[in-house]
Amino acid sequence: MAITGLLLSFFMAFHLFGNLFLFVSEAAFNGYVEKLHKLGFLIRIAEFFLLAFVLSHAYSGILLWWKNRKAKKNIDSYSKENTSSSARYAAFTGSFIFIFLVTHWATFWYKFNFDMQGMSYYEVVLGNEVGFANPFFSVFYIVAIALLGYHLKHGFSSAGQTLGIVGTEYEKLYNNVSIIFWFWIPLGFISIPLWFGFIIRLI
Amino acid sequence: MNINLKIWRQPSDKKDGKLHDYRLENVDPNISFLEMLDILNNKLVKEKKDPVAFDHDCREGICGSCGFMINGRPHGPQKATTVCQLHMRSFNDEDDILLEPFRAKSFGVIKDLSVDRKSFDRIISASGFVSVDTGKAEEANYIPIQKSNADEAFLSAACIGCGACVAACKNSSAMLFTSAKVSHLALLPQGEVEQADRVNKMVATMDAEGFGACTNTGACSAECPKEISQTNIARLNREFVKAQLGSFIKKK
Repeated sequence: MAITGLLLSFFMAFHLFGNLFLFVSEAAFNGYVEKLHKLGFLIRIAEFFLLAFVLSHAYSGILLWWKNRKAKKNIDSYSKENTSSSARYAAFTGSFIFIFLVTHWATFWYKFNFDMQGMSYYEVVLGNEVGFANPFFSVFYIVAIALLGYHLKHGFSSAGQTLGIVGTEYEKLYNNVSIIFWFWIPLGFISIPLWFGFIIRLI
Repeated sequence: MNINLKIWRQPSDKKDGKLHDYRLENVDPNISFLEMLDILNNKLVKEKKDPVAFDHDCREGICGSCGFMINGRPHGPQKATTVCQLHMRSFNDEDDILLEPFRAKSFGVIKDLSVDRKSFDRIISASGFVSVDTGKAEEANYIPIQKSNADEAFLSAACIGCGACVAACKNSSAMLFTSAKVSHLALLPQGEVEQADRVNKMVATMDAEGFGACTNTGACSAECPKEISQTNIARLNREFVKAQLGSFIKKK
């Protein structure tokens, strides 16, 4: 769970790096996507592994949930005041993120790969059909990414425990890097629908 | 002060239980929580009714016998204390107080508030001890031990095995208990030599006893009467990964 989670987080950082080309210029973003497409076969291999990580992360999560449900005699009897809420809702936020991912693949990923209809990548992202010109999609992305950040807040602290980093000399460094992943990177993602979906139209 | 108690009454693990209401009047706020239950039981015995079963022994917070849920929290509202160290002055006049046993699949109800925590004993007897010859007391004092390690080991050894961590946990996980036991031996040279074998056996027993898995919600440490910290769980995980890798390499 910890290892697949961390690997997916690294991918997320790389994904944001690409997305930020949207702020540079239309040509820069299109050029970046074009370069990725040229990698061809390598991209398919990477996608295969990413999907495997997502599924194995979800699978171990479900196993964990099932095991823990069996261990609890009365599922309502535990100390609610003192649990971290990001941990308590991790299964819920994770499920929501999965729905978001499927939507994300069905829209952007599918269009980018198979259904461009003569538009540029930039136009698809900012367009009306599946892009951020559609306020429904913008709001959905903002909510989903915010929940992803919340999910990662638990994820990183949990991985620190599972991998035994807590209590060693690396704990502080790890916690600081975690904040980049659960706060700054999701904020970077949110800035895109927020800017292209709402702010740009107001100014 | 007057209090209204709601107490879980269950004749045995096989039979269903339910909540019963009791009212106690003129309770001295300076008596301990268990003394209040003694008064209630005296009253019940005089009325020829079945007294409430609850575990207790030393009544000074070091044996780990007492413990049940008070208003949804193990050992009640006061931080870092067991039920026996809790006093009635922590409550207000006319308070409703809900008492339930520690609930977990691995803790069967013996009667009312008393639960069977033998699963903890089995985790310890799996390997929670030192079996190498460590010599006499003065020989232990000749071995130099880093102060920080000795302090950490002492804090981990403070675990009294009451089971509050399991009851506090939404997963009924015994990770805090097991990690405290693994930690206090792993940090000292006498325990270090058998560490890999110990952590493998104790974790296997913990899983076999049907405890849940840790999802790092942190409720256990927050409710622990001995304030055993989450660092122990990280240490257990670290030692477990090391031990698993070690035994994997040895097999080859």
